Amino acid sequence: MAMLETRDLVIDIPGRADGRSLSLCLAPGQRWGILGPNGAGKTTLLHTLAGLHPPRAGRVYLDGAPLATLKRKMVARRLALVFQERQDGFPATVLETALIGRHPFLAPWQREGTEDLRLAREALAALAVDHLADRLVTTLSGGERQRVAIATALTQTPALWLADEPTNHLDLRHQVAVMRLLADQARRGATVVMGLHDLNLAARWCDHLLLLFPDGQHCAGPAEVMLEPRALERLYGQPLTMTRVGGAPVFVPTPDPGDPVDHDR
Amino acid sequence: MPRSSLFRALIQAVGLISLAVSARAQVCVDDDAGRRVCLEQPAERIVALSPGATELLFDAGAGERLVGAVSFSDFPPAAKALPRVGSYKRLDMEAILALKPDLVVAWISGNPDTQVQRLEELGLTVYRGEPLRFADVADTLERFSVLAGTERAGRAAADHFRDGITDLRGRYADADPVTVFYEVWEEPLMTVNGEHLISEAIRVCGGINVFADQTSLAPRIGKEAVIAKDPEAIVAGGMGEDNPEWLEPWKRFPALTAVQRDNLFFVPPSTLQRPTPQMLKGTRLLCRHLETARARR
Amino acid sequence: MPGVSGRGLAALMVLAGLGLLAVAAALAVGSVPITVTQLLAVLTGGGDPLHRELLLSLRLPRALAAFATGGLLSLAGALMQVLLRNPLADPYVLGLSGGAAVGALGAMLVGAAAFGVSGAAFAGALLSTLLVFGLAQGVGGWSPTRLLLTGVVVAAGWSAVVTFLLTLSPADQLPGMLYWLMGDLSYARSPLPAWLVLVPALLATLPLGRTLNVLARGPLQAAALGVAVRPLEITVYVLASLLTAVAVTTAGSVGFVGLVVPHMLRLLLGNDQRLILPASVLAGGALLTLADTLARTLLAPEQLPVGVITALLGVPTFLFLLYRSR
Repeated sequence: MAMLETRDLVIDIPGRADGRSLSLCLAPGQRWGILGPNGAGKTTLLHTLAGLHPPRAGRVYLDGAPLATLKRKMVARRLALVFQERQDGFPATVLETALIGRHPFLAPWQREGTEDLRLAREALAALAVDHLADRLVTTLSGGERQRVAIATALTQTPALWLADEPTNHLDLRHQVAVMRLLADQARRGATVVMGLHDLNLAARWCDHLLLLFPDGQHCAGPAEVMLEPRALERLYGQPLTMTRVGGAPVFVPTPDPGDPVDHDR
Repeated sequence: MPRSSLFRALIQAVGLISLAVSARAQVCVDDDAGRRVCLEQPAERIVALSPGATELLFDAGAGERLVGAVSFSDFPPAAKALPRVGSYKRLDMEAILALKPDLVVAWISGNPDTQVQRLEELGLTVYRGEPLRFADVADTLERFSVLAGTERAGRAAADHFRDGITDLRGRYADADPVTVFYEVWEEPLMTVNGEHLISEAIRVCGGINVFADQTSLAPRIGKEAVIAKDPEAIVAGGMGEDNPEWLEPWKRFPALTAVQRDNLFFVPPSTLQRPTPQMLKGTRLLCRHLETARARR
Repeated sequence: MPGVSGRGLAALMVLAGLGLLAVAAALAVGSVPITVTQLLAVLTGGGDPLHRELLLSLRLPRALAAFATGGLLSLAGALMQVLLRNPLADPYVLGLSGGAAVGALGAMLVGAAAFGVSGAAFAGALLSTLLVFGLAQGVGGWSPTRLLLTGVVVAAGWSAVVTFLLTLSPADQLPGMLYWLMGDLSYARSPLPAWLVLVPALLATLPLGRTLNVLARGPLQAAALGVAVRPLEITVYVLASLLTAVAVTTAGSVGFVGLVVPHMLRLLLGNDQRLILPASVLAGGALLTLADTLARTLLAPEQLPVGVITALLGVPTFLFLLYRSR
């Protein structure tokens, strides 16, 4: 169980006014979606929540303790961050990559044991990349690399997931698989926070939403309250049309009379 | 007497006089590059492009005619006061031209060839030198004295040098050979091959240079190679004029003949490592050292 | 060995064997022929006095100095490559050898003794390290790119000063200076300082291996996995600089070993720093010992610069491995 809390938090985006400070409580079992247009600060907020980016003001608390005072290793045992951008540096295999998720749990002289290996293999299987275990990461497709990154976070067995665009590069089937996996993590008591650009994924898979406006304003709350078309239109600066598919809300941009539309299809 | 014949006689007279003047004044020598170097009259303003050439010019009696030298031209002491025209490997062309020399003495293996050629293209007279043998040292003294119009001093210096070497040659012609390792530099360890002037000095003294058969003029060798040759005498120059510190490290090898007999000798580098008349002094000292080595058998 | 798999351990054993062979070869060959029986006699405490002297005060110290220098340079190279996350990094990439060269050549120019030359080289290397680190710090804190750029520019500055010093130098000093610049084991007086730094440094880096694996994925990912990135980077930078400074002080700037040995091993053994770091020490040591033995015997009594041999041995091997790799 892990509780992440922000008090009067202002994320540090150079050249942007403070806006309204953020005081939120992210509880175990919740699935949070962070929505906002490009440049609203979704990634910066996730990095700030993970303690990788110092806030301009305010604090982040992990299980009641200020994040900045905790040792990185202790933080890493509780919290995993799936990055949007990845650096491969030197070539490594898929299995080696997943295994680094065990790093926070091992002493400097310790080698990964059978239990660590089992966790890594299970994570690779859960993301359906176990058949690639011996391949070099650099030889994989974008979608495969994304799944390896999520498998690495899964190997880390976090109580708190911070996932920046977890469905990046994924086809529809794998998008659904990954969202199901994260929902399953939440069901087992993890806190899941996702930065998403796809409103419909958020609408379908998140129970809480945080809307980030480019001017530093925000609003947050349960998904059913937040999925208010007027607010979302203001968020994206784009007229939206809402419909429902199987009970879940689906948003599409309202066509402009000038847009090219092929009505014969 | 018709006017025309008088005029003709006048012209002839003038012609004869000018011919006589030029015949007396024009001087020519062959340099070490095999070219003929001629001056309309003995040089008054000479620039020397190597420390060795500066020294030779002083010995040839032309020191007062030197107007420029390169860096490190420190012998004789008067050379230190000469205006500098760069280093021997990078000549200051403007400084050389500004001195308006009527003779430039270049060093074949030391100066950049293109710069020396450029000096010639700019109208300067260039003598190219490279004394490789004792005979060349004496010849060079004579040639410089011809070019500078100081024949008497030059011939005397050349004769003194030749006689000195001939004397040494005669004295040690039948002496028992002594194997010699000559240390030019300690780090890296360097010696000379048989082509080098220092090797000739060793021969004159009845010595045998143990690395005479090497291909490069100043080969870099390993300590172990010296031990393998086990020379009877080790002779070293040094960083300074009276600094025999390079000999010390050899004492760590008591198995060496030269160490057992204490045949570790110092010769001031300036008397043996520059192709100048100073070599007579250095060679004499070297010969004495080798005599000492013979006496310790 | 901590954190090294069975296969890795086998690789280390093979490399250690190669290292021993290289040292044995360095002891066995030279201008004075010494038979294996004579060699064994000396090693067991007897033998001919000349042979004792040759082996114990010439060949053995030199072989040990070569091994340690190779090990120091390879370890420093492997660390720099991870630190800068740049496969082109070598121990000298941040201008350290230039600083050392300016120190050494300056000392030679004023006629300092061998000890003074080593001291000045070491001081120059440290000065360069501090200079690059201080400048890369800048106003906004340092990043690998900024460190690399600062180092490369500082190195260019040093190389200009080196050229300047060479221009100022008298003719008889030049060969010594050029050999120093090319790297040369004949400058090594005692192998002891190099070993005294190499062994503790290796022991200190072994527990860092897995952390460095994580760092190779980038500083953010490493921080997310619990690595204290900045302290680690500073430690690695200081350590690699110290290793390089000692290597340069021992033998001048021997090129190539620090760049290529870690890469060869990565191509052969994968990219686990826990294995690559100790393997680099062994392979770098073996390569430089072998190269130095060849350099002093190939055209004996003439001595070749060891850098020529390391490149001639290393370049084809490396290109072959690279060509074969995926």
